[in-house]
Amino acid sequence: MNDPDRLEQPWRLWASVAILSVFAFSVLFGFVLMPVMQGRAAGIDAFEAICRALGITPGSPAARQPTTNAKAQPATRVAWSADLLNSLTKATAAGESLAGSCAGCHGRDGRAVEVKLYPDLAGQSAAAIYKQLHDFKTGSRPSALMTPMVQALTEEQMVAVSAHFAAFPVRPIPAAQLPAAGAAIEGLVARGDSGRGMPACNACHGDQSGGPTEAPRLSRQSREYLAAQLRAFKTGERRNDIYSRMRSVAAPLTESEIDGLALFYASTRTY
Amino acid sequence: MLVTHARQLTFAHLWLAFLAFAVALVLGVWQMWARSPLPAPFVTASTYFSAVTAHGTAMAYVMPVFMIMGFGYYVAETALDRPLPAPRWAWSAFALGLAGALMATVTIFSGRAAVLFTFYPPLTASVFFYLGLVMVVAASWIWCVLMMVAMAQWKRANPGRPVPLAMFATVANAVMWLWTTIGVAAELLFQVIPAALGLKAQLDVGLSRTLFSWTLHAIVYFWLIPSYIAFYTMVPQAAGGRLYSDTMGRLTFILFLIYSLPVGLHHLLMDPQQSNAFKFLQVALTALVSVPTLLTVFTIGASLEIAGRLRGGRGLLGWIGALPWDRPLVLATGLAFLMLGFGGFGGLVNMSYGMNAMVHNTSWVTAHFHLIFGGTVVIMYFAIAYAIWPAVTGRAAPSLAAQRLQLWLWFAGMLVMTLPWHYLGLLGQWRRVATFNYADPIIAGWGPWVVVSLIGGVILLGSGLLFVLNLLQFNVSREPHAAAPGELYASAVHPPARVPAALNGFRLWNALVLVLMILAYGYPIAQFFVGDSPQALVHRVDERR
Amino acid sequence: MPISEEIIVRSELRWAAISVGVVSVIMIALIYAGLVHHINPPSNIERIDPKTLHLGGEFTEANLGTRVSGDGQVTSRIVATQFTFQPRCVVLPANRRVTLRFATPDVIHGILVSGTNVNTMIVPGYVSQVHTVFTRTGDLLMPCHEYCGLGHSEMSATVRVVPPDEFKPDAEGRVACDAR
Repeated sequence: MNDPDRLEQPWRLWASVAILSVFAFSVLFGFVLMPVMQGRAAGIDAFEAICRALGITPGSPAARQPTTNAKAQPATRVAWSADLLNSLTKATAAGESLAGSCAGCHGRDGRAVEVKLYPDLAGQSAAAIYKQLHDFKTGSRPSALMTPMVQALTEEQMVAVSAHFAAFPVRPIPAAQLPAAGAAIEGLVARGDSGRGMPACNACHGDQSGGPTEAPRLSRQSREYLAAQLRAFKTGERRNDIYSRMRSVAAPLTESEIDGLALFYASTRTY
Repeated sequence: MLVTHARQLTFAHLWLAFLAFAVALVLGVWQMWARSPLPAPFVTASTYFSAVTAHGTAMAYVMPVFMIMGFGYYVAETALDRPLPAPRWAWSAFALGLAGALMATVTIFSGRAAVLFTFYPPLTASVFFYLGLVMVVAASWIWCVLMMVAMAQWKRANPGRPVPLAMFATVANAVMWLWTTIGVAAELLFQVIPAALGLKAQLDVGLSRTLFSWTLHAIVYFWLIPSYIAFYTMVPQAAGGRLYSDTMGRLTFILFLIYSLPVGLHHLLMDPQQSNAFKFLQVALTALVSVPTLLTVFTIGASLEIAGRLRGGRGLLGWIGALPWDRPLVLATGLAFLMLGFGGFGGLVNMSYGMNAMVHNTSWVTAHFHLIFGGTVVIMYFAIAYAIWPAVTGRAAPSLAAQRLQLWLWFAGMLVMTLPWHYLGLLGQWRRVATFNYADPIIAGWGPWVVVSLIGGVILLGSGLLFVLNLLQFNVSREPHAAAPGELYASAVHPPARVPAALNGFRLWNALVLVLMILAYGYPIAQFFVGDSPQALVHRVDERR
Repeated sequence: MPISEEIIVRSELRWAAISVGVVSVIMIALIYAGLVHHINPPSNIERIDPKTLHLGGEFTEANLGTRVSGDGQVTSRIVATQFTFQPRCVVLPANRRVTLRFATPDVIHGILVSGTNVNTMIVPGYVSQVHTVFTRTGDLLMPCHEYCGLGHSEMSATVRVVPPDEFKPDAEGRVACDAR
């Protein structure tokens, strides 16, 4: 290699030729020959097969695309968007004036007058409140009480009233009023149960979960209200959870687990 | 020459690397315990995935970055025989990286960053996690510049002479790392950090996965190259021989620079948002990245054969037995090659997309990169540390036997851990799971193998702790170290007096990398800027909406 | 050192040729699989808005599951969401070409079907599509194999592969697990 003639080998040329030939080989086989041959076997014309291989049109060059004639009812008509979520963070005067008609049951400050029947709204996630208002209105979550109440609300008004109640501080609970839920229930909350395909409750309802946008806060709601909702999901009476996220985890719960979980969340501060 | 700067820099960087390593090792064993049928303490979804995040962050970013920086400073002074340029910058980089690593660690352990080290947007952690990692990477960028400056200064002072191979390879790694980090930096700076700051409510997940894939393969070669530097320069010397071919060494590092980058799409073979055609293109390039490794196996094998025959080895294979296996560097190389053999075979399965569908996101993949990185690479990190620690501390090693035991334990533990993982992967055991439902009849059959792999993990933990102990032993050693540090590097059988400019710098190769990256990644990235690319809402894991 | 430079260069070149040969064999195997067995990675650049996935079209809740279309194509549509599949069980016939279509409304997921080569990522914004033929009958595991949040470990579904004669679509062409 110390021979000066060989030192001046045309490195640039050979390196470029090597790389371009690898590229040309890949284009020939990956972009053209393979898709065209696969398409021919599947009855897809050459141009379409190449488009599919390049990802310009959907589908595999080696298989027909399935067809659909879907027309199905969604579980909820709520769809999140960046703008909607942004507007839910701002409490407005409009929300305050609308909230008067809610105060009869949910309290002026979002603390329910009869906690066994109605949920607290104070400190609840605005997205969760909005989702339920919207579902009451559209009938995704039919309710003799709520559906007529929200019927007249516009989109903006539902946003405003949700943001309004979300801004209140959560109800304090007197310490040591309720018995502890026990280790098995705490295990469901923190670990879930892989045997029954149940994720930890914390996976969606925890403070650091990254779970679904509309997952509500559960702590300091009443035992009765929480248990009633879990049972409604379990029986399928309530079905406004997108893609059965709650129905699928409530279904395998036993009656005593439902009561235990309701007790846990009613007596905890952190979720 | 090893003036105090490099000595202290190397000491500080390697210790930081190995402390992160030790913590991550403990977490790793606990994670395997949690996944096994045996009841493990502290397991919740949140603790498990925070621990996985910490393990990955420490092992993939913090440990290798500091190891490579520290080793690079050492090579720059010893191979070039010149003082390091701008040591104050090197110390600033160390401080920056240390602060970043601490910031990320605190964020992870507060439970605000359970997104794993591969991020998975639209899941979004606390911004302090990402900023911490950006600081670690920024520290490594300063190191890259320092390495390039050191080589440029040497070339100016020694016109026409070939850059010593160890330094040439270190700079190849620095150049490659600058290219490598472009992908993840773009993902973090334009997508993830704005989302974490609340400036962006949605992002394009296809784009972020593609940008991360840009980094995801080349980062492995970033980790790997220090081991290859040891193979080419330190191992033949330790074995008492010569390097078979200096030119082949240079070509190998250049091939790594070129081919480790335009291949990242093979991490997305099972992804919907990239096309068949570009997957094929990058798989073809991936196949080529095995070439430099095959060349290395030959060249190092030939170099060791020279050493073995010089030591009196005869016959076709007699030279192998004649090698000085009692020297940790030689022993580590032998063990590393064995693991590279197993791991390389697994890698060939991964890159072929028909077979990839069988193993993608199964334990097979976890096994593969633990064997290649945790096995081949990290065992060479140990050996490098053992080899340079006398020069760094000024003291001789108190016990080579303890070092050999540690290396053997690491090898054994790695095989006991990863062979069952490979098997379980073929059975369909999937990755990134905190707990398995061992009541399921299919999963129940996996239980015994999971326990075997856990035993492997415990052996690895023992080996890792012995390694830390072995380094600490230097501090109590009374025997001063005599040899000059430059004697670490082998010269070639025919040391080159001159090499072509193409093999003495990176200008031509940078141009080729640019061309290749445009061809391989141009359209796969550009497609996300055509039409209405779908956006997904950010899911924050650090706070409630 | 007795080895001449000429010998070193020649042996290195020989070895380089062997390396390139190994690589070529791998590529030939890949091309063969593609041309003869039509093996492709599950690429399907079909955009779909994850935010409105549930509102209309084929991925609304009541439309999910297995369906046989008029031309006899068997397609199963499955949504992966935090932290469940909808439906959690699908029925598919053995020894017949079937298509699995996946989408997600939230974050990255992925699936494999144990004991088969069905494997794909599910990325928000794209429909993932796998064409396959199941050869073994029985209940196969279909877990989520990509980290999707704290409930990832428990996210799993079942693929029930039945003999062709037990695969009986109803009047609408649908087949469901609990219907059997």
